[in-house]
Amino acid sequence: MIKPLAYNIVSSLGFSAQDNYAAVRRGQSGIVPWLDPAGTPIALSHLDREKLQDAFEKQCKPSQKYTEPEQAMLLSASLAVAEAGINPASVRTGFVLSSTKGNIELLGIPDHGLGTERIHLWHTAGLLAAHFNNPNLPLTVTNACISGAAAQIAALKMLENGLYDHVVVTGVDMASDFIVAGFQSFKSLDPERCRPFDARRKGLNIGEAAATIVFGKADGKGISLTRGNVRNDANHISGPSRTGEGLFRALSRTLEDLPRDEIAFICAHGTATSFNDQMEAIAFTRAGLQHTPVFSLKAHFGHTMGAAGVLESIISMKALEDGIILPSLGYEEPGIEGGLNISTATVHTNKRYIIKTLSGFGGCNAALLYQTHS
Amino acid sequence: METLILDLKKQIIEALNLEDITPDDIDTNAPLFVEGLGLDSIDALELIVLMEKQYGIKLEDPGKSKEIFRSVATMADYISKNRKK
Amino acid sequence: MKKITAYSRITDSLVILNGKPCEITFSCEPGPGRLAEIYRFLESGYPKFFKMDNLSKAGFLASEMVLRSLHYDMESPDESTAVVFANRSSSLDNDKRFQETISREDYFPSPAVFVYTLPNIVTGEVAIRNKILGETSFFILESFDAEKMMIFVDWAFASAGTRRVLCGWTEYLDGHCDVLVMMVEKESDQGVDYNKQNINNIYIT
Repeated sequence: MIKPLAYNIVSSLGFSAQDNYAAVRRGQSGIVPWLDPAGTPIALSHLDREKLQDAFEKQCKPSQKYTEPEQAMLLSASLAVAEAGINPASVRTGFVLSSTKGNIELLGIPDHGLGTERIHLWHTAGLLAAHFNNPNLPLTVTNACISGAAAQIAALKMLENGLYDHVVVTGVDMASDFIVAGFQSFKSLDPERCRPFDARRKGLNIGEAAATIVFGKADGKGISLTRGNVRNDANHISGPSRTGEGLFRALSRTLEDLPRDEIAFICAHGTATSFNDQMEAIAFTRAGLQHTPVFSLKAHFGHTMGAAGVLESIISMKALEDGIILPSLGYEEPGIEGGLNISTATVHTNKRYIIKTLSGFGGCNAALLYQTHS
Repeated sequence: METLILDLKKQIIEALNLEDITPDDIDTNAPLFVEGLGLDSIDALELIVLMEKQYGIKLEDPGKSKEIFRSVATMADYISKNRKK
Repeated sequence: MKKITAYSRITDSLVILNGKPCEITFSCEPGPGRLAEIYRFLESGYPKFFKMDNLSKAGFLASEMVLRSLHYDMESPDESTAVVFANRSSSLDNDKRFQETISREDYFPSPAVFVYTLPNIVTGEVAIRNKILGETSFFILESFDAEKMMIFVDWAFASAGTRRVLCGWTEYLDGHCDVLVMMVEKESDQGVDYNKQNINNIYIT
C-alpha cells in the first residue's frame, strides 16, 4: 500500500500539519483584509515573511539567498522529511514539485540578480532535490489548480512501479501581484472571506502556502492513497462544464464500484465561485454522492493553487485519522441547485474512505481516494 | 456617434483577437454574445477592461454589463453617456 | 504492442508530419507570424485559434496535424484518449505578456492573456477541439527527455480506460518554437515502434 509517512503545512495558520489542523478544528481562518496591486480591497491568506524567513533559516541553515516561494518549499519539505525519518539523499527517494507559478514574482523585479534560470519551475524543483543532496532528477507537475493531486498521482505510480521507495511531494504557490491581478481581472475574487457553496458566495480568496507529504510503501494500520484520476471537461478553458463532465468521470474512475455509503466525506474544491461550486454539486450527484457529507477548506486557507491539492489532502487525512467530518467554514445559506449534503458541524464517523476533488483552468479535474486501515 | 462606433469596432477586433474580421463585418445592432460574433465569458471580461482603458468607465456589476454589451450600438450609447476619456 | 501511429514536428524552420516536410512557404521571419501561416496552410477552420497564446497555438497546430492525419473522430466525446505534454519554459512566453498588462504605469490586467499563463491550457485547447474527456497532464523538464516522456505516457495508460495517448514536447519562448507531438496507441499494427530511439530520432529531425 502507498501511505503518507509524514506531512507538513506552512501557511498563515502555522508551520506544522498539526498546528494547521488544530486551527481548522477551532474554526480559525487565515484570511485577512488585503489590497490588490491597484489598491482595491480584497481578502487573502498571507504568510508572514519574517516568520517564514526565521523558521527557514533555523531549519534549513541556508548558505545562499532564496526567494520566498523557495523558502516556503524548502522549510515544508525539510520538516516533513525530518519527521518521516527517511534518507532524502538516497537514490531510492524521489522528489515531486507541484506549483502553478513558482518564482513568477521575479518577472516584476528586472534586476533581481538571481540569474535567468531562476524563474523556471525545473530550477525550483532542482533546488528542492539539491537541498537534500538527492541524486535524482526531480519531477515538476504543473496542471493549474489540480497540480497537487496530479503530483500525488505521479508519486503513487512511481511507488507502485518500484521506481522509488519514498517520494516527497511538495506543493507551493505564493499570492504574487501576478496571480492576484489575474484573478481580479476575472472578477472572481470575494473582497471578504469566501463562502463555499453558500447562496451569497461571491468568489474566491487567494492563499499562499507550502505543503508536503512524504509517501512510502507499507502495510498495516494507517491511511493509504488508494487511487487517483484526472479527466478533462473538453468544454471551456476557464469555465467549468455545466454537466460536471470531467469531474464526474474522474470520480467514476476513482471510486469504481465502491458503495457510496462507505465514504465518510468529500473534501471538495469549493472555491466559492458561482460556477465551480454548482459544477461540483452536479458532478457529485451524477456520481451518486448527493448524500455524502461535503466540506471545503477554502475559507480557512484561501485557494493555495499549486499547494492546494497537497495541503487540503493533509487536513482531510488528519480528519480521517480522528474519525471526524469537518464542517464547511463559510457556509450558512444553501446556494446550490439540486442540493448537496454540506457539512455544518463536526461529526464523528466510522467510515473508512474519503475523497479529495480539485478542478482547474484548462478543464482538468482530479479525484483522489484515501482509505484508513485498522 | 459614427466615429465612436467605428473606433469601438476596431477596438473590439483588436482586444478580442478577432482575426479576419473588419469593422464592416460587424453589424452595429446584432447581438455580440451567443449569436452574432458569438463572444464568450472571457471576451465579456476583456470588454470590461476595454471600457476602462479606452473610455475611463469602471464597470463593477457583471449583471449590468450584460445589458451594456448586448450590441455595439448599446455599448456606444453607454459610452457616449458615461465616458471620462 | 504500443505504436507511434502519427507524429509531427514544428520548429523555427520546419513543419514535418510523419517524417515528411510539409510544403509550406513562409512569408515571414521565424516567430508568431509563422504559426498563423501554418494555421492557414492546414485550413483548420477554427477561429478560436487566434485567441490562443503562442504556446497553445504551436501545440494546437502540431496536434491538429497528427489528429487529422489519423482521421481522429473529433465529434464524439471520448474518454479513451489522454493528452500529456511537457516543456521547459512553462508559459513564460505569455507570462511576460501578462506582466506588461500589470505594469505600474499602465495597469490593466488582461483576462484573455491571464488565462494562458498556465502551460496546461494547451492540453485543454486540444481537448476542447477534439472532445477529449480523458486525462490531461503537463510536466516541466529542463530539456527534452524521451525516457521521461515514456514514463509520463505509461502513467496515462495506467489510468483505467486509456487506449491512446497524444503526447509531446510543447516548448515556445521568445519567438522560438520547439514542438513535437505524437500519438501512441496501446494496440496497433500500424506506425513506428514506440521506443526511446525512435522518439529521439523524431525529435532530432
